[in-house]
Amino acid sequence: MKKKQEPVFIKMNGKPFEVPPGGSLGVLALGNVGVRAWKKAKEKFEKKDVPGDGKEKK
Amino acid sequence: MKRKTCQGMEKKKNKVLLIGWDAADWKIMDKLMANGLMPAMKSLVDNGVRGKLATLDPPLSPMLWTSMSTGVRPYRHGVIGFVEHDGKGGVRSVSSHYRKVKAFWNMLTMEGYKSNVIAWWPSNPVESINGCMVSNLFQQEKKGRETMERENWEIPEGTIYPESLKEQLMELRVHPHDITGNLVMPFVPQAVALDKKKDKRLTVISKFIAHATTVHAACTELMETQEWDLTAVYHDAIDHFSHGFMKFHPPMMPNRDKEEYELFKDVVIGAYVFHDMMLDRLLKMIDDDTTVIIVSDHGFHSDHLRPAHIPKVPSGPAIEHAPYGIFVAKGPGIKKGERIHGASVLDVTPTLLTLFDLPVGRDMDGKPLVNIFDHPKSVRYIDSWEKVDKPGGELVSVSEESLEATNEAALQQLVDLGYIDEMKLDDSNEDQQEYLTGIIKENQFYLAKSYISGGKHEDALEILLEIEDKTNPDFRFLIDIINSSIKTKRYGLAKEYLHFVRKNDIMSKAYMDTLEAKIALGLNDGETALRMLQSALKSNPDAIEILIELGRLFNSIRELKKARECFSKVIEKDPDNAHAYHGVGVSYLREESYENALDYFLNAVERMHHYPLAHFHIGETLALMNEHEAAISSFEVALTMNPDLPKIYRWLIDLHELINNTKAVEFYRDKLKTKIIDEKVIITGLPGPKLTSVIELLRSRGFIVEGDPDKINEIDSPLNNDILAGFKQRICYLPENLIQNLLSKYDYRIVIVNDDVETVSDYLNSKTKLRKSSYNPDLIDGLVKMDITARIWLGQQPNLDIFYINELEDDKNELLISFVKD
Repeated sequence: MKKKQEPVFIKMNGKPFEVPPGGSLGVLALGNVGVRAWKKAKEKFEKKDVPGDGKEKK
Repeated sequence: MKRKTCQGMEKKKNKVLLIGWDAADWKIMDKLMANGLMPAMKSLVDNGVRGKLATLDPPLSPMLWTSMSTGVRPYRHGVIGFVEHDGKGGVRSVSSHYRKVKAFWNMLTMEGYKSNVIAWWPSNPVESINGCMVSNLFQQEKKGRETMERENWEIPEGTIYPESLKEQLMELRVHPHDITGNLVMPFVPQAVALDKKKDKRLTVISKFIAHATTVHAACTELMETQEWDLTAVYHDAIDHFSHGFMKFHPPMMPNRDKEEYELFKDVVIGAYVFHDMMLDRLLKMIDDDTTVIIVSDHGFHSDHLRPAHIPKVPSGPAIEHAPYGIFVAKGPGIKKGERIHGASVLDVTPTLLTLFDLPVGRDMDGKPLVNIFDHPKSVRYIDSWEKVDKPGGELVSVSEESLEATNEAALQQLVDLGYIDEMKLDDSNEDQQEYLTGIIKENQFYLAKSYISGGKHEDALEILLEIEDKTNPDFRFLIDIINSSIKTKRYGLAKEYLHFVRKNDIMSKAYMDTLEAKIALGLNDGETALRMLQSALKSNPDAIEILIELGRLFNSIRELKKARECFSKVIEKDPDNAHAYHGVGVSYLREESYENALDYFLNAVERMHHYPLAHFHIGETLALMNEHEAAISSFEVALTMNPDLPKIYRWLIDLHELINNTKAVEFYRDKLKTKIIDEKVIITGLPGPKLTSVIELLRSRGFIVEGDPDKINEIDSPLNNDILAGFKQRICYLPENLIQNLLSKYDYRIVIVNDDVETVSDYLNSKTKLRKSSYNPDLIDGLVKMDITARIWLGQQPNLDIFYINELEDDKNELLISFVKD
């Protein structure tokens, strides 16, 4: 069994916010930092042992 | 930040963030701000200035955004339409290649300022400016007509300058396939109810979100990592979301499917809210010394003005565009919480230059918006930026292969938006050549429209007559041919084309009748004009254009209440119609109800600032109210908009005389001399007691008035000759029925004495020794007809300087004396 990945956090309105692998408009609206954080969260999610139920995917 | 000037002194650097939101509209934003859904925009509006940004005709985005970035109209900047013939038997999407003049990023480069320019339309290929440039095709995932997968998503040549930024920016792109249900849900809360494979609309929404995110990510990256004086970013998503989904925006349009409405009613709102979230991030990245400007190139109908159908003509979707976009500015030295009026897309570049204390080109069609500043702002000018011999950036070179691929991708995007027809892009299509000819024609049509929008009807007519083909008539071309013929007084040509239109039943009867009325008006045939307009109105009682024309006609013939009824109906249907407010104002002015007139004229210019005639009428009204200083200001505004109207100079001379400003009197006299060759003052009106009194008054004040109302029959028939040839004096009396024969070689001031027909009839009867009150229907009909014909002709002459007089009163007498004197 692979090691569970750490979630990715980003600062939103001065507070840490866990970036969902499925993304959020709030994260995208942060621009460069948001896109980088989201891509990182996705990458980590895709490397997970249990790939999730896919409901977040379109 | 500080910048060293050439004298070595330190000067504060004025940073500007310019944000373009295609099609953003106040009607929607005001509601969202009121409901707390656009807090970032609200903070800007509350702490800065806001206004409407007038669009240009045709309201097609590549033309408009290029006017925005250059300060000149499309017929000068060269970006016409969406596609162009490539000179090799094909078409290509508009690109930077077509721009013939310098854009603001070139001007800033010349002056040593650094710019980030992101996704401006059109900006591919990019230019080697001082700063960074990311083209409008950066976010594009198409290669040719194929969609590239995320894994092999290339970036075309010519998309990024400098090339060294390529890797850094590429990793920030978001592919439409990356957009998850989470991200679509705020736009379509019931997205799960849709069959994604059958219904492509979710795919379209994903694409718009991905593109907007990519542009925003590139913008924030450059703002954060590059040194800059100006960052300019353009987003097309509001326009795209609106074209796709405004038909579902609340309130529900008649005949829409309720289920679809429920599914997609939040899409447009979602688009605006997402843009506000992105704006919030940008505002957090700048300091208080940065000026923020947000603009849109046109608005978008979101209410009862939404069209029920999109016309099946090229660029048909543009019918959804509203005539005013948005303008917001906030920053140091800018007013707070105020509204500004009269801004146009042409004013963006002159305003940017002024913010950087750089000179505005005198050859620009736009003006700097100095009314945004909380202090008097001095504006510097140069003849033209085109004459500045400094490097401003060159187009980067791109291989033919890459150009072809990006071109096909761009064309496909236009197909997706409904602006061009997919079938006809197919190389194997037999009609390809015909289609290409059509493309050229279409662009020529847009060029003609641009000339019309700039008041250059002769140039427009030349093009329209060239592209018009009676074997394959296009109603749009024919309408503009007839209208431009009327504007250039080529009534024979207008009649010829109207006859063709009627014979072939090319447009609605109401429209044809309206055109015929316009021609009749031009020919001073009030009877036909009235009949045609009333007929047109019968079949189309809500048509704004007909009501406006009818109102103007009623104003001309002094049916002032009827005129007001027409204009009021227009205002009821379209509360932003500046022409209707102006029309009501004219009716009150003619009635000498100055307070009311002023109120309506001010309403007109609030809605359409670039309205020289309305400013002129404000000046005239204020002058008649003895508000001399204020009148001068209004005439000066009118003068900046139309410096060729002699009557404005005359008013300014008269008013400055009244306030004893001799220097200004001399100044305007000198200016006037350059505008006119010879001048005549014509006294006219129905030959009644008032007219006689006016002439007597002038004679008693030492003026020589040639001609006599009692000897009308002694004046030679003017039809073939110069009617004034036999007159030696500067001031002449001329019967109303001869007014329309005045030749244009003179410049005229005209005094019209208003009198009622019955009084004049009694007066004439008494002169002919008939019983004073004898009813003579032929005489009355003749007088009415003469009066109407003269007034219609006068109403069509923008260059005439007219003074209306109803009663001889002391204060009026002085104005009259001032008006007629040399």
